[in-house]
Amino acid sequence: MTNREFSESDIHLALDNEMPVEERPAFERWLEAHPDMQARSHRFAADRDRLRETLAGILDEPVPPRLSGVPLIPEEGMKGPPRLFWRSLAAAAILIVGGLGGFILGRMNWETPLSGASVADRAIAAHVLYASEKRHVVEVGADQKDHLVGWLSKRVGVRLVAPDFSGAGFELVGGRLLPSAHQAAAQFMYQDRAGARISVYVVRDPGSHETSFRLLKENGARAFYWLDNGCGYAVTGSVSQNMLLTLANLAYAQLDAAITGGSS
Amino acid sequence: MKRTTELATGPYPQLNSDSLTIRAAEHGFRSDMDDKRRAILAEIPRLRRYARALLRDRDGADDLVQDSLERAFSRLDNWRSGDSPQRWLFTIMHNLFIDQKRRALRRKQALPLSQDVGDSIVSPPTQFESVVSREVFDALQTIAPERREALLLVAVEGLTYAEAATVLGIPTGTVMSRIARAREELRASLDDAARRRTIRVVEK
Repeated sequence: MTNREFSESDIHLALDNEMPVEERPAFERWLEAHPDMQARSHRFAADRDRLRETLAGILDEPVPPRLSGVPLIPEEGMKGPPRLFWRSLAAAAILIVGGLGGFILGRMNWETPLSGASVADRAIAAHVLYASEKRHVVEVGADQKDHLVGWLSKRVGVRLVAPDFSGAGFELVGGRLLPSAHQAAAQFMYQDRAGARISVYVVRDPGSHETSFRLLKENGARAFYWLDNGCGYAVTGSVSQNMLLTLANLAYAQLDAAITGGSS
Repeated sequence: MKRTTELATGPYPQLNSDSLTIRAAEHGFRSDMDDKRRAILAEIPRLRRYARALLRDRDGADDLVQDSLERAFSRLDNWRSGDSPQRWLFTIMHNLFIDQKRRALRRKQALPLSQDVGDSIVSPPTQFESVVSREVFDALQTIAPERREALLLVAVEGLTYAEAATVLGIPTGTVMSRIARAREELRASLDDAARRRTIRVVEK
């Protein structure tokens, strides 16, 4: 191992501490004999330092509560969006819709995708505001369910259903149209026998990526929210976390079926 | 920890040895889970740094961290406490990141150009970003995702080639060639940015 031939790739080995210590002196001599390689080595080292310096500040940022507070939910409870088969179906649906309506889509608000947290934020704000209403909790009542669903689908821009939660003890009260940034959002309100209210919030967001179910707590209400099919969804209420997760799973299955079934 | 106090000071005179064993076992299980959870939470700053360097967008990066943590917590059994939590978490994040890139690519291919926002080279600046650090973030985004990962894991996160190879699920030699190419790309992008900056200054 006295005088092996060095090459450019050794610059990387040396820089990344992958070169045996005993080869170092010979390598340094080789660099001195090859000024172009030495310049390259210095440049790579400088770039690395710059990279480290730029990124170092992130370590000192306070950790957002949504990360430090990630709940320990067993996997079977998290059967949300990330299932490949349905995802591909959803992707196919988006492709078809995208292909047909690309021009219209392009003119809409594509450039600022929502984050899941902002969807949940708005859903909770709307829930807290309207769930406490006695007389005007909804804009259109459950007695006009077909009209309600058709109207909200049209305004939000996706094929919606009012998820059926009767198995979990919640009946549809009705729904309303809400503003959300530059888009329209739909809210379906439900109530159980004891008068507890939960709501489902849907907003179209074609630029968004998919996420799994997440939990946000705010103003005494919690919301499970997720992004999928180019939409943001949230199920909000002051019921127990388990009940809310059950409802979120029901809502996910039914809304997903409506959207993917609607365009094939 | 609260459980320990209960066991130590709680009035359990009637407990037979069997139920004590069960309680102790349960306690051991819980505290093992707690230890794992704590070890994972301690890695958040580094996970955030890696995710931000990969994705640049702050919210998107924290989404990736959150997804990784959720997956980690749902699969705590897959991680033995002797192993480095960091490498285990990086592996989880790598898998999620690759999934995300694949989906973005599919979507990009299917949609008209005007909607191409997936992985654009020039992203809106994040808060408090200086011109110089913006150049670094922009330059990182010009490196192909798989090479970006290799470079960041080794040059920033300090993994060895062998460790990075395990995280990325590729041979060590591939790690090395990816890093070499990533460095060339980074250098070229930073040079471009510096040139543009000079031109702007001259034009003033």
